[in-house]
Amino acid sequence: MSSSQSTATQPIIQVKNLVEVYADGTKAEDDISFYVNEGEFFGFLGPNGAGKSTTIKVLTTLLRKTAGQVSIAGYDIEKDALAIRKLIGVQSQDTSVDPELTGRENMILQGNLQQMHGKELTDRVERLLEVVGLKDAADKRAGRYSGGMKKRLDLASTLVHKPKVLFLDEPTTGLDPQSRNTVWEYLEELNKKEGITIFLTTQYLEEADRLCQRLCIVDSGKIVAEGSPSNLKKEIGADAITISMQDKDGRGGDSVKAAAKQIVTALPGVVNVVESGDGLTLYVKDGGYFIPELVRAFDKTDIKLVSINLSTPSLDDVFLKHTGKRIRVEELVKQGPSGRFGARRR
Amino acid sequence: MTLLFDTGYLFVRALKKLVRNPILIFFSLFQPIIFLVLFTQLFHSLNELPGFPPGVSYLEYASAGILMQNAFSSALQSGTSIVEDLNSGFLPKMLVTQVSRPAILLGRLVTDAFRVTVQSIIILILAYALGFRLATGIPGAILILFIIAFFGLAWSGISLALGLRTKSSETVFGIGAFLTFPLLFMSTALVPLSFMPTWMQYVSKVNPISYAVNAVRDLSVPGFFSWNAEISAIAFIAGIAVVTIGITLYLFRKVIS
Repeated sequence: MSSSQSTATQPIIQVKNLVEVYADGTKAEDDISFYVNEGEFFGFLGPNGAGKSTTIKVLTTLLRKTAGQVSIAGYDIEKDALAIRKLIGVQSQDTSVDPELTGRENMILQGNLQQMHGKELTDRVERLLEVVGLKDAADKRAGRYSGGMKKRLDLASTLVHKPKVLFLDEPTTGLDPQSRNTVWEYLEELNKKEGITIFLTTQYLEEADRLCQRLCIVDSGKIVAEGSPSNLKKEIGADAITISMQDKDGRGGDSVKAAAKQIVTALPGVVNVVESGDGLTLYVKDGGYFIPELVRAFDKTDIKLVSINLSTPSLDDVFLKHTGKRIRVEELVKQGPSGRFGARRR
Repeated sequence: MTLLFDTGYLFVRALKKLVRNPILIFFSLFQPIIFLVLFTQLFHSLNELPGFPPGVSYLEYASAGILMQNAFSSALQSGTSIVEDLNSGFLPKMLVTQVSRPAILLGRLVTDAFRVTVQSIIILILAYALGFRLATGIPGAILILFIIAFFGLAWSGISLALGLRTKSSETVFGIGAFLTFPLLFMSTALVPLSFMPTWMQYVSKVNPISYAVNAVRDLSVPGFFSWNAEISAIAFIAGIAVVTIGITLYLFRKVIS
């Protein structure tokens, strides 16, 4: 699409054939293309190492792309980096607040660096402090904040200059369920009430499912599926039944799995069978009616079903369908981020 | 204009951090003060040795060296601050704003120069209390502060370059500490050139610390001052500062681009 064709519905983020190769030859982005519409809540869902953070770094002018085209609000990422920085707010995966400044000072500084001054800035800061519930702690040094408070301060400070597009790199990783919920509610409000376009990366299915109007599922630097969460799940077109089993001596293992796979594949109504962990996931048209069939089928064999789990398809099933793997959520062990930021340059 | 404002914001930020971390100032002032109070007393009869400028007390002589020691022990901490910002994610966070890129370095350097100046004033006051009288009075003191701040900047440049290159505050600190004493002792900071063995005299003659110390000493000891020596020393320090800050700038651009 060329700029001459621009209409009201032109995407605010446009990425075409983006490639990012690190100095050591790792392909972090392998020819990805996607777009985000203005006002949309958009997500990248994928496991660690899928290239989510790299995408955010390229889109936020921190990392120079190897090839491809990226534009935000019509500005080219390389030619108009400054114009883009004016429009965007970025929360990186590592909470980055200055521990020796107070919450309020952190936000004022952030505003100053975005060329805001005076009453306009102080009013904005006070309002945001209130919104994220840090008003009472505003004069305490950020180093004394809890993890959740730091995250909220970090988020608030990215909003000082009223960005049009907000980039959030795993905003709830490391938060307890309650704080996570609070952040979710706040993000939804930002998107709906203030109309901020949000680009979020996450490894949490629940998060992507709840927040994103549209998402890309990414794995190993590639986009494997794209659509709204409900459409993606509909594509599976069947219920998911996860089973685990043992042989007559109570052992699991690959041979049992292979034998069981042979049995279930032959059953009527089975759309697809995928190995997952120590069991199998079957996709079937009518899960509820199918379960008795399944149990009967194994009755005649030496294989014993240990568990049966029926569910409507989740985004994890979508991921499984496209990659043959499940998204494994690893709670991030805090590694020194020096490597992440430092070693990326060619 | 943005450059000026942003430098100001980052200067204020660094200053707040410094004031809230007085231990850092204590660490870099501790050694010079020990030298000033104990060393000059311990070696007060050094001025009776042949080769020592006649009529000069050891306190008068060594004060210049101690001021310079203060300059580099605090400048050496400069690099650790940029490493901290790099690793905490604060630098990337700044880089996604419209902040003027050079202001990030400039804010740092202005802070360093300011800090060295304040510390030097403290040392000058302490030395005054111990009986040290500046031969050239207030104008001389101002020139001294200027030379020291300038020399501090040259050292900050080295420290910042190390920080940007290694991204490890331990390394910056270690290399700094490793350089300090050999360079200090193999200069005319604490004893005249004639006190040293021949090989050390050679080192001392090319040691930048000697130049800076001599420039300060010429202003503090009666009868030493000459414009020629002063100007050539300042030119020499400026040359070093240009090189080290140039390297820093180059490495900084590599890290942020």
